Amino acid sequence: MSSRTNHDRTISDGSHDAHTLDRVSAVNPRRRRRIPGIAAAIGAAIALSACATDAPQDTWQPVGENAQKIHDLQWPVFLTAGIVGVLVFGLLAVTVLRFRDKGQAMPEQTHGKPVIEYLFIAIPAVILAAIAIPTVGVVMALADTDDTECVINVTGQQWWWEYDYEVEDDGTICGFAPTAAEAAPIVTSGQLVIPADTKVLLRGTSRDVIHSYWIPRLNGKRDMVPGRVHYLRLSSETPGIYAGQCTEFCGLSHANMRMETIVLEPDHFQQWLDNELEPYTSPEEGTLAAAGEATFITQCSRCHQVNGLVDDRGTDDPDDDTLVVSYPDQFVYSGAAPNLTNLMGRNTFAGATFDLLTDECRADVWEADPEVFGERYLAGVTEDCLNEIELREWLRNSPAKKPMYADAEMLTETDGKTRGMPYLALSEDQIDELIAYLLERK
Amino acid sequence: MFTTGAVASLAGTVAYGVLAEGTMGTIGLVSATVALATLAGIVIFTRDANVFADEPDTFDGAAANAARPGASMWPFALGLAVTTMTLGLVTYPAIFILGAILFVAGIAEWILQAWSERASADASHNAEVRSRLAYTAEMPVAAAIGLGIVIYSFSRVMLGVPSKTSTIVAFSIVATIVLILGAIVGAKRSITAPKITALFAVSGVVLIGGGAVSGLNGERHIHEHETTAYIAAKDECGAEKTYADKHASQTVAGKAGNAEVRLTAAGTLVHRKPGDETDRSSALQLPRSNANNLLFRNDSDEERRLVIDLAPDYEGSPPRICTTLVDPGGVQLITVNFAVPSFAPEITDIGGYRFYVPGVSSAELEVVVP
Amino acid sequence: MAIIERPTDTPAVVSPDAAPAVATPATSYGVFRRPVETTGWKSWLFTIDHKKLGIMYGVVAMAFFVIGGIEALLIRLQLAGPDGTVLSADAYNQMFTMHATTMVFLFVMPMAAAFANYMVPLQIGARDVAFPRINAFGFWTFLFGGLFLNTSWILGGAADGGWFMYAPNSSVAFSPTNGVDFWALGLQITGIASLTGAINLIVTVINMRAPGMSLMKVPIFTWMIMVVQFLLLFAIPVITVALFLLMFQRSFDATFFSVEAGADPLLWQHLFWIFGHPEVYIIVLPAFGIVSEVLPVFSKKPLFGYPLVVFSGAAIGFVGWGVWAHHMFASGLGPISVAVFSVATMAIAIPTGVKIINWVMTMWGGKLKFTVPMLYAVGVIVQFTIGGLSGVTHSVAPSDTQQTDTYYIVAHFHYVIFGGAVLGLFSGLYYWWPKMFGKMLNERMGRWNFWLTIIGMNLTFGPMHVLGLQGQPRRMYRWTENRAGEGFFNIGFWNLIASIGSFVLALGVLMFFVNIYVSHRKGTQKAPLDPWDARSLEWITTSPPKEHNFDRTPTVGHLDEFFHRKYEDRGEGDHHDYHQVATAEEIVAEEEAKGDSHIHLPSPSYWPILLSLALPIMAYGVIYNIWLIAGGAALALLSMYGWGMEPHTAPDDDYDPPAAGTELEVAAHG
Repeated sequence: MSSRTNHDRTISDGSHDAHTLDRVSAVNPRRRRRIPGIAAAIGAAIALSACATDAPQDTWQPVGENAQKIHDLQWPVFLTAGIVGVLVFGLLAVTVLRFRDKGQAMPEQTHGKPVIEYLFIAIPAVILAAIAIPTVGVVMALADTDDTECVINVTGQQWWWEYDYEVEDDGTICGFAPTAAEAAPIVTSGQLVIPADTKVLLRGTSRDVIHSYWIPRLNGKRDMVPGRVHYLRLSSETPGIYAGQCTEFCGLSHANMRMETIVLEPDHFQQWLDNELEPYTSPEEGTLAAAGEATFITQCSRCHQVNGLVDDRGTDDPDDDTLVVSYPDQFVYSGAAPNLTNLMGRNTFAGATFDLLTDECRADVWEADPEVFGERYLAGVTEDCLNEIELREWLRNSPAKKPMYADAEMLTETDGKTRGMPYLALSEDQIDELIAYLLERK
Repeated sequence: MFTTGAVASLAGTVAYGVLAEGTMGTIGLVSATVALATLAGIVIFTRDANVFADEPDTFDGAAANAARPGASMWPFALGLAVTTMTLGLVTYPAIFILGAILFVAGIAEWILQAWSERASADASHNAEVRSRLAYTAEMPVAAAIGLGIVIYSFSRVMLGVPSKTSTIVAFSIVATIVLILGAIVGAKRSITAPKITALFAVSGVVLIGGGAVSGLNGERHIHEHETTAYIAAKDECGAEKTYADKHASQTVAGKAGNAEVRLTAAGTLVHRKPGDETDRSSALQLPRSNANNLLFRNDSDEERRLVIDLAPDYEGSPPRICTTLVDPGGVQLITVNFAVPSFAPEITDIGGYRFYVPGVSSAELEVVVP
Repeated sequence: MAIIERPTDTPAVVSPDAAPAVATPATSYGVFRRPVETTGWKSWLFTIDHKKLGIMYGVVAMAFFVIGGIEALLIRLQLAGPDGTVLSADAYNQMFTMHATTMVFLFVMPMAAAFANYMVPLQIGARDVAFPRINAFGFWTFLFGGLFLNTSWILGGAADGGWFMYAPNSSVAFSPTNGVDFWALGLQITGIASLTGAINLIVTVINMRAPGMSLMKVPIFTWMIMVVQFLLLFAIPVITVALFLLMFQRSFDATFFSVEAGADPLLWQHLFWIFGHPEVYIIVLPAFGIVSEVLPVFSKKPLFGYPLVVFSGAAIGFVGWGVWAHHMFASGLGPISVAVFSVATMAIAIPTGVKIINWVMTMWGGKLKFTVPMLYAVGVIVQFTIGGLSGVTHSVAPSDTQQTDTYYIVAHFHYVIFGGAVLGLFSGLYYWWPKMFGKMLNERMGRWNFWLTIIGMNLTFGPMHVLGLQGQPRRMYRWTENRAGEGFFNIGFWNLIASIGSFVLALGVLMFFVNIYVSHRKGTQKAPLDPWDARSLEWITTSPPKEHNFDRTPTVGHLDEFFHRKYEDRGEGDHHDYHQVATAEEIVAEEEAKGDSHIHLPSPSYWPILLSLALPIMAYGVIYNIWLIAGGAALALLSMYGWGMEPHTAPDDDYDPPAAGTELEVAAHG
C-alpha cells in the first residue's frame, strides 16, 4: 500500500476532490484531503468538465498506480492552463471595453516597447519550463518496468483482443501456483483478468493493423503495432471492472473493439486461475448441450479453440478420438479467433462489444462494491442471467450485428478469408444447441 | 478539305463504332480516318493549303519558294544508320537497335529541317522556327542520353573497382579532383571557354573510356543478401554458407521485436524480452498466427545460425525456418509465424517447437505457442 | 491552319533584290496562339491573372467547404444519439476521412492560397506573381485533384482509413475499395499544386517587392504567407514520398508497409507527421497573417512588436519541424523520444503565445472599431487561445496518453483550425471583400454570421472536451449507453449538444452565403475606395484592382505605407497629433495621373489547364488501366510542348476589337 500513501501525499490540492467527493464511485473509494481556498475554486471550475459520475472511461478518475501518476501531473497543468486562459481573456476584455472607439484621438503610431515583449516571452517560457521538468520525470517513471510481477501477452486483431498468460520460470502464473493442475499458458479474449496489488506488464503486439490498448482508469493508452512489441504497465489495488476501448483507428468495426480489465483479490484470482486450468468436461450424453458439442465441432471449431475438446464422433474406440485443434488461418485473414474454453466466465463477447449478461445481472457485477465484486464476477454467466437475445442474434448473423468484412466482394483482396466472424447459416435448432453448450463453458 | 474530312470521319467512326459496337464497318471507317488524317497531315506539312496552286503568280512568289536549301548532315546520318542496321542484322541485335534509333532520329531531323527551310524566305527566322520546334524535344533527349552515359560509365567504374573499400577511396579522390578543378575554374575568371571545353572533353573521354574498360572487365563479385524467407524456401538451414545484410537487423523495428534469442559463449540459448532485461533459458512464449520478429545474437566464436522446425502440413508454412549464418558477435532478424499451437498433435509428435543451433547440441530453447 | 504559318505580313511577291521578308515570332506559330478573351468563360478558363485565379481558388475552396461541412453534419447526426443508424460503419469511416481531407487540403489550404494569390502581389506592389502560367497551373491542378478525390464517392466508395491513413490499415487487404487509391493520388495531385504555388510565391515575394520595400517593411500577411510557402516547399515532398510508397504498396504490390515482409508500420507515421505537423502551421499561419492585418487597421495602431511577430512566425516555421512525434506519444516510441518531443512541443507554445499577446497589445491603447472583420479577428484571439491552452495540456506526454485519439483532441484541433484558421479566413473575407469585388458585405448580416458561427462552434466543439475526458474515442461510428455514464457529464447529453451546435454552426456559415447575395443585389452601393481606413499597399489602387494592379509601381517608405500617405504627425516630441492630409481617392487619382506608359503583362494561355487535366487522367490510369496513364502522359507531354512553344503575347490583331489605343493595349502589352 505504500504507493497509495504516497499518492495521498502528492495530492495536496483538493480542487478536484471538492467536486468529486460525493460522487466518487463504488470502485474508487478514495479519501482525499480538502483544501479550501481560491485555488480550489478555480480548480473545481477547470476540473468541472472532467469529473463526471460514472462514465466508465473517465480519464479524471484514476484508480491504477500509473493512471494516478498521470493524473497528479495533469491536473496542475489543466489548472495552470485555466489560469493563463482567465488572465488572457481578462486582459482582452479590459482592452475591448476600455479602448472602444469613443471618439478619442488617433493613438501613437508605435510598434511598442521591446521590454514588454521580452517579458511576454519570458513568462510563458518560465511556466512551460516548470511544466516540462515534472513531465520528463513522469515519462520516465511510467516507462519503468523493473519491478514487474506478472507478464501477460496481449495481441490485437480486427476487432478484439487476445490475452495469453505466461508461465513464469518458477511454474507460476503472475506469481500464483495453480492448486490442482500444472501451470499452462492460458488464452482468453476481451476481458483481461489480473490480480490486485500486482504490477502487471502487458506485452502487446498486433496480428493485422495497429490497435491501441487503453484502460483509462489504470493507465494511458499504448499502440499495439504489428511486428513490434510494446509494453504497458497496469496495476490496481481496487478490485473491479475497468472499461477500455481500442483507440487507434483499426478499420471497419473500430467502434466495436472494446475490452475490460478485471482486477480480482488474490484469493479470487487464484480461483479464476484454477478454473481456467481445469480440464475439459464434455456435456452429459443426451442433453441439448451434448448435441451442441457436436454442432460446435462441425460449425465452430475450425476457428474457435476450446482447450481439451475431443472429437469422438462415430467411434466407440477412445484411441480414435482426436484432439480438436482450431486452424483459423485457412478462414480468417488475421489467423486467429477467440478461445472459447471459458466463454461464460467472461461477461462480454465479440470484442467485448456485447454483454453476455442481461442488464440487471450486468449492473450487479459492474456496479458491485470492491468487496463483493470478485464473487459476483467469478459466478460467471448463469442461465438466468444470459443475454440470450444478443447472443442469438450474433449466432444467427454476426456481420449484421457487428460490421465485419464478410461479403464475398470484400474478400477477394484477402484470398477469400474473412475478418471477423462470417455468416454461418445456422438453423434455430443449432443455435439452441450451441447456446446450451456454450453455457457450460466456464 | 482533308482536315475537315479527317475530323468528320473520326467523329463518324466513333459514333458508328459506339452504336454498332465494333463491327467490320468500323474497321473500314477507321481505315478511312487514318487515310484522311495522313492526307491532312501531308497537306498541313507541305503548306499546300496556304497557297493556291492554280494561282501561279502567288505560288511562284511565295516566300517559301525563295529559300535555298542549306547544308545537311542527315543524308549521311541515314546512310550510316542503314549500314549500322545491316551490320546489326549479321552481328548483334543491340547494334541493329542502335541503327534503328539513328534511322528514326535521322528521318525526323531531316523532315524537320526540310520543312523549316521552307517556312519563310528569311533564313534566320527559319532557323528559329526549327529550333523552337526541335529543341523542346532535342534538349531533354540529349540531356538524358548525356547524363545516362555519365552515370552508366561512372557506375561501371565503381562496380569494377576490386573492393568496396577502394570504391570509397576512389570516389573520394575523384570528388576531390572535381572540387579542386571547380575551385580553380571559379577563382580564375580569365579562363577561356576553349580551355573549359577541353577540360570537359578530357574528363568525358577519361570517364567513358574508364567505363568501357571496366564494363568489359566485368563487375567484382558481390554477395547476394539472402533473407530468412529465401533460405527457408530453399531449406538451406544446415551448414551451407549464406549471406545476409547485416544492417537489416539494426532497424528500430527489429529491436522492438518479440524477443532476442542469444547463443551464449557457453553454447546455450537464452532469450530476453523487451520490458524484462534478464536472460532466461525457460520456454519462450509467443503468440500464434502472428509475424513474430526475433533477433538472433551470436555470442559464440563460430558462425552460427538459428533454426526452428514448424508444422509441415499447413498451408504457407515452410517445414523449418532459419537465419543466415551469423558472424561471431553478429545479429540477424528472423520472423517466425506459428500456424498451430504447441499442443497440436503434429507438433507434440516432433517434440514441440524448439529453437536449435546446428553444430551446437547443447543449444536448445523451447517455444510455447498457446 | 498550319502548325507554323507563313508570315502574313511579308510582301506576296519577292523580287530578287528586295530585302528578305522578316517574320515576327508573334505571327509565326499558328496553333500556338494565345487566347485573348478578357470577358466570358474563356477569360476565366485560360486566365493567368493572379486576381482571377485568387477568386477561383476562393470559390472552389468555398464549394469544398460546403461539401466538407455536409460530411461533418452527417457525422454529427450519426453521433447525436447512441447506436446511430444514419450511416453504416463503412460510410461513417469514409465520412470522417473525407471530412478531414476535404477541410484541410481542399478548403483551408486553397482558401489561404486564394488570399495569397490575390493579396500578395497587391501588398508588395507587383503587377502579378513571378510565374503567372505556373500559378494558373497550380489552381487547375488543385481543382482537378480535388474533383478526382471526390469522384471516389461514386466510384465504389471514398477512402476509409482516416486522414492520417496509418499503415498497414491502408493496405489493400484492409481497405479493399479504390478509396485509398483515390485519396493517395488525389493528394499527390493537389500536392503538386501546393508545391508550384510555393515556389511561385517565394520568388514573387523575394524578387518583386516594390522599390523601397525592404523585408522588414513587408506587410505581415505577406510575411506569414512566405513562411507558409517555405513550410510547404519542405513539407510537401515528404508527403509525396509517403504517398508514392502507399501507391506502390497498393497498386504495384510493394511491401513498404507489409509487416510479414519485415516492414515497420511506424515508418508511415513518421513520414506522415513530419509532413503533418508543419501542415498545422501551413493551415493556421495565413490566418494569423490576416488577423495581424485586420487588428491594426481597426485599432488605428501599427501591429505591436511587428519584428517579433515576424520572427515568431519564422520561429514557428522552424520549430514546427521538431515536434512531429507528439502525434505519436502513444505509438510506443520509448521514453527518451517521448520526453524530447514533449519538451520541444512545449517550446513551440512560446512563439505561438507571443502572437496572442502581440495581438492583445496591438489593441491596447488603440481606438477600436468593431466591424465584422474585427469581430472575427477578436474571435480568433479567444478561440485560438482556448485551442492553444488545451494544446499545452497534451504537450505533457503522459497526459496526452490519456487524451490522444479521444474527442478531447478533436475539440483541441477544431478550436485551433476552426477557431484559428477558419475564423481568420472569414475575417479576411469581410476585410478584403470590398477590395476584391468593389462591394461591401452587409455589416448586419455579417454580425449574424459571426455570432451564429461563434455560438455554433463553441456548442459543437466545447462539449467535445468533456466527451474526450470522459473517454469517448474518436473515429467510432457509434457509441453506446453502456459507456456513456450518468449525471451532468454523461456522454449522451454532450453528444447531443455537439450535434445541435453543428447545425447552429452550419446556419452561421449559411449566413455568409446569404450575405453575399444580400450585398450583391441590384441597387447596393459600390464600396468606397478605402472603407476601413486601411494601412497597406493593396488599397492604393481601384477596387477591384485593374488587371495591371497599379498604374504606377508604388514606392514604399514605411511598413504602413498607405497610412503614412494619408496622415501626417504634426505633434512635437512625445506629443502626437495626426492629421489627415490626403484621402484615398486623391492618392489613387494621383497614381493614375502619373501612371506608367509601358505596362507589359503576359497574355492568357491554354496550356496550364490542359497540363493539369493530364494529371487526373494519369491517376485514373493508375487505378483502372495502365494505358490510360500513357494517354494522360501524352496529353501532358503535348501540353508541355505547347507551353514551351507559345509566344509571349498574343498579336494585336488577335484581339476583337483589335488592340489599339484602348485600355486593353495597356493591359495586354502596351
